[in-house]
Amino acid sequence: MKPIVAVALTSAILTAPVFAQDTSVSGPLVLYTSQPNADAQQTVDAFVAAYPNVEVDWVRDGTTAIMARLEAEFVAGNPQPDVLLIADMVTMEGLEAEGRLLAYPEADVSAYDPAIMDPEGYYFSTKLITTGIVYNTAAPFVPASYNDLLRDEAQGQIAMPSPLTSGAATIHMAALTSHPDLGWALYEGLAEQGANPQGGNGGTYRAVAGGEQMFGFVVDFLPIREMANGAPVNFVFPEEGVSAVTEPAAILSTASNVPAAQAFIDFLLSPAGQQLAADQGYLPAHPAISPPAGFPAREDITLMGFDPAEALANADANRLRFTEIFGQ
Amino acid sequence: MPMRTDCGLPRFSANKLTDLIKYMRSGEGLTLAALILFALSLFVFPLALLTRVGLTDGEGFSLGPAIEMLSHGSVPRALWRSLESAGVSAILSLVTGTAIALLVGLTDIRGKAIITFLLLIPMMIPPHVTAIAWVQAMGPSSPVLNTIGLAPPPGSPHPLYGRGGVIALLAVQNMPLVFLVVLAALRALPREMSDAARVSGAGTIVLLRRVILPLLAPTLIAAYALAFIAALGNFGIPALLGIPGRYVTLPVLIWQRLSAFGPSMLADVAVISAILASVAILLVLIQSTLLARTRNALIGPPQAPIYLALGRARSSVEAALWTLVVITFLLPITALFGTALVVTYGLPLNAETITFDNFREILFEQSVTARAYRNSTITAGVAALVIAALCILLARLLAGPKGPARRIGLGLSTLAEITYAIPGLVISVAFILAFIRPIPILDVSIYNTLAIILLAYLCAFFSIALKPISAAFLQLDPALDEAARVAGAGFWARIRRIALPLVAPAAASGAILVFLTAYNEVTVSALLWSTGTETIGTTIYNYEDGGYTTLAAAMSAVTVIATVALMVLLDLMGRRLPPGVVPWRL
Repeated sequence: MKPIVAVALTSAILTAPVFAQDTSVSGPLVLYTSQPNADAQQTVDAFVAAYPNVEVDWVRDGTTAIMARLEAEFVAGNPQPDVLLIADMVTMEGLEAEGRLLAYPEADVSAYDPAIMDPEGYYFSTKLITTGIVYNTAAPFVPASYNDLLRDEAQGQIAMPSPLTSGAATIHMAALTSHPDLGWALYEGLAEQGANPQGGNGGTYRAVAGGEQMFGFVVDFLPIREMANGAPVNFVFPEEGVSAVTEPAAILSTASNVPAAQAFIDFLLSPAGQQLAADQGYLPAHPAISPPAGFPAREDITLMGFDPAEALANADANRLRFTEIFGQ
Repeated sequence: MPMRTDCGLPRFSANKLTDLIKYMRSGEGLTLAALILFALSLFVFPLALLTRVGLTDGEGFSLGPAIEMLSHGSVPRALWRSLESAGVSAILSLVTGTAIALLVGLTDIRGKAIITFLLLIPMMIPPHVTAIAWVQAMGPSSPVLNTIGLAPPPGSPHPLYGRGGVIALLAVQNMPLVFLVVLAALRALPREMSDAARVSGAGTIVLLRRVILPLLAPTLIAAYALAFIAALGNFGIPALLGIPGRYVTLPVLIWQRLSAFGPSMLADVAVISAILASVAILLVLIQSTLLARTRNALIGPPQAPIYLALGRARSSVEAALWTLVVITFLLPITALFGTALVVTYGLPLNAETITFDNFREILFEQSVTARAYRNSTITAGVAALVIAALCILLARLLAGPKGPARRIGLGLSTLAEITYAIPGLVISVAFILAFIRPIPILDVSIYNTLAIILLAYLCAFFSIALKPISAAFLQLDPALDEAARVAGAGFWARIRRIALPLVAPAAASGAILVFLTAYNEVTVSALLWSTGTETIGTTIYNYEDGGYTTLAAAMSAVTVIATVALMVLLDLMGRRLPPGVVPWRL
C-alpha cells in the first residue's frame, strides 16, 4: 500500500547484507502477520533466503481481523500459526497472560532498549511506529510539548485518531495518560479544546495536511514521507517523548515447529532483519541500524515509558474514561 | 399426442414424463432449466441464507433478533440516519430532477442534448469518487476555491463532513435518476389534455399546476422511491463524508463491523443486513405498484412533445442550467484533477507543484493498482458478457407467447429486480454466508477469490442489462421467428440467425452498462475483496482512508476518464437504437 514499497524493494535487493544461510532448521512454518502485504512478502522472502529449508506459509490480514481469526482458532482448539508478527505489546501481553505464548529467553536482545522487549522473552519488538505531533505549516505556533496543544491558539484546531479505531492511538493514550507530567488532564484539556477523535491515522493526516485542522496526533511515517514532497506539514517528536507501536513477534505455545519459529525471531532481530524494516520505511528497533531518510537519529528519539502489562489491565477502564471525556 | 407449442410447456396428457423429458431436451427447455438453476444458486440461495440467519432465532421465523438489535445502541441510530439521509436527499433529488426534466422536456431551451449528457455524468461516476472530488473541492486547501479566493480559511472544519454533506451529495448523485424517469413520463404524456387546457386559456403556470403535475403524480412518487432506494444502498458517500462527521448509516455500519471484526460478526451483520434489505424490498414493491399504474394510465401513441416558449426568460433559464452543470460536475471534477496532479496533498497547484507522478505511480509502479485494474476489468468484463448472454435468453422467453415459460421468465426478472434494489453490501453479506464454506459436491472454495466477486456482480447487476435487451426483443416482429420455425430452424438457429443480429446493439449497450456499473462499484466488493483480489473501488477507498489522498485522486481521475469515454461510446451506439436502450437517450 505504500508508494515507498517499490523503492524499498529495489534498495532491499541492492543493499541487504548477505545473511549466512542456515540449513539446519527445516520444515513448514505458519506465520500470521498484520504487516502490509508487500512488506510481509519481503520479510518472508528474506527469511527463506536465510533459512532455505524452511517453508513459510503465511496469512496476512488487518490486526483486528487476524486476532478474531486467532481467537476463533483458540476456541476451536487448533491454532494454526507457529509464529505471530502483529500489532503491539499490549496485544502480546494479553496473549501472554492467557498462556498462549512460548518464551524464548535465549533470543539475543542485548542491543535493544529493554523497555520494548518482554523481560521473560515472550515477545520481541521489531520496529518503532511512533506517534507524535503533526502540524500544518500555517499553524500559529510550533508545538514542542504535548501541553502546547492546550494553548488558546490551538482551540478547535486539533485532529486525532480514535483509540476505539486505531491501535496506535490506544497505545498513545496509554502512554500519555501514564506520563507524570501529562496524565488524563491532557485528554480532558484536549476535549475542552474541541478535539474530536475519530477514525484512523489517515483521516487525521488528511485533515492537517488539507488545512482543516492545524495540529494532530499521527504516526510518524505519513507526514515524514510527504514532507519530502513538500507537504505543508511538519512532524514533531515532543519533548516528553513519543509512544510507539512496535509490531512484536512471538511464538505460540502450541507451535509445531519451534526451531523454525525461533529462527524467524532470530532473523527479525538480526541486523539484516532490522535493515529490511528500515528499507521498508520504518524506524528499526535496533539502535545501530540507521533510520530511513527523514527520521532523526535513533538516539534523539525518546520513547515514553510505558508498561504494557499495566496498559492491558487498564485497557477497558481507559476506553471507558476516554468515551466519557469525549462523549462518544 | 399432446399439442406441442414451441414457446410454452407442452400440455401433458398420458405420457407426461416423456413429454417433459422431451421438452427439457429441446433448446428452450434447456434454456429455461439453465436460467432457473442460475437464479436458484445466485439469487435465491444466498438471500434465503441471509433471511435464515437474519430473521430466525434458531427455531423458526422470528423478528426477535432484529427487534433486539433495533432496541438500543448504534443500529437504530444508523437506521434512522439511513432513512433520514435517503428521505431528505430523495426530496432534493425529486425537486431538482423534476424541475430540470420539465425545462428540458417542455421548453424551447437550446443545447438540450449536451446539457442532458453533462447532467447525467454524476449518476455514472462512482459515489466514492464523487465524494472524494467534493472533499477536495470544498475544503480549506481546495485548488478551485483557493484560486478564486473563496476557500474556507485554514483551520475551519470541512463543511461537507456530517449530515448536511451526506444528504447534499446523495441528492446530486441521484438527481439524474429522477430526471430520467420524469423526462420519459413527459414524453408519454397525452397531448389532448394540455391542448384542451391551452384552448380554455390556461397559462403556463396553470397548465403545469392543474394538468401536467397531476398527470405526473404517480411518476413522481415512483421517482422518489427510486432515488430513496439508491440513496439507502449508497456506501461511498456516507463512508467518506459520514465517518469523519460521525454520521454512520446502515451500510457503513455493516461494513465497519464486518471489516473490523471479521467473520465472527457475521451473524450480527446478517441481522442488520436483513433489516436493510427489508426496507429496500418494501420500497421496491411500493414503487413497482405505482409505476405499473402510471404505465396503464399513460400509454398512448407516440406524440410530438409539448413545447412551451420561454421567451425572454430563456437565456436566464439556460444560464441557470449551465451553472448547475458547472456546480455538480465541473467543480468537483476540476478539484479532483487538481489533487491528482499536485505533488503532495495540501499544497496549492502551480507550476512548481504540478506532477504526473501520482498517475505514474498508480498506472505503472504500484502492484496493487495494477492488480486492481486487472481484477476489475476481468470481473466486470466477464460479468457483462455472461449477463448479456443470459439476458438474451431470458428476454426471448419474456417476449414469447403467454404460457408457463413466460411466467417463469417474468418471475426471474422480478427476482433480478429485487436483487438489484437490495443494497450491494447486503448482497455481499449474503454471498459470504453462502460461500464461506467450500461449495458442496464440487468441494471448491471460492471465498477470498475473484470468483465470489464475479458471482455477486451477476446477482446484483443482472437487471441492468435485462431492461434494454427485453425492450429490443419486444420490438421484434414475432412473424420473423415464426417464419424461421416454419422453415425448419431449431431454437438455437433461430436465436443465432434471427434474434441475435437484431438485438445485438441493445445487448452490447446492456453489456456496457453492466461493465460500467461493475467497473465502478465499491459496495459489492467492499466486503468480498482480500489481498490479491482488490477492485478499483476498494483500492481507491483504501488509499483515501489510509491518508494517500493524491493517489486516491489520481485513481479516481482515471476512473472518471474511463467512465466518460464509455458513456460517449454508449451515446454513439444509442443513436441507432430504439429509445430507452441507452438510459439517457429517450
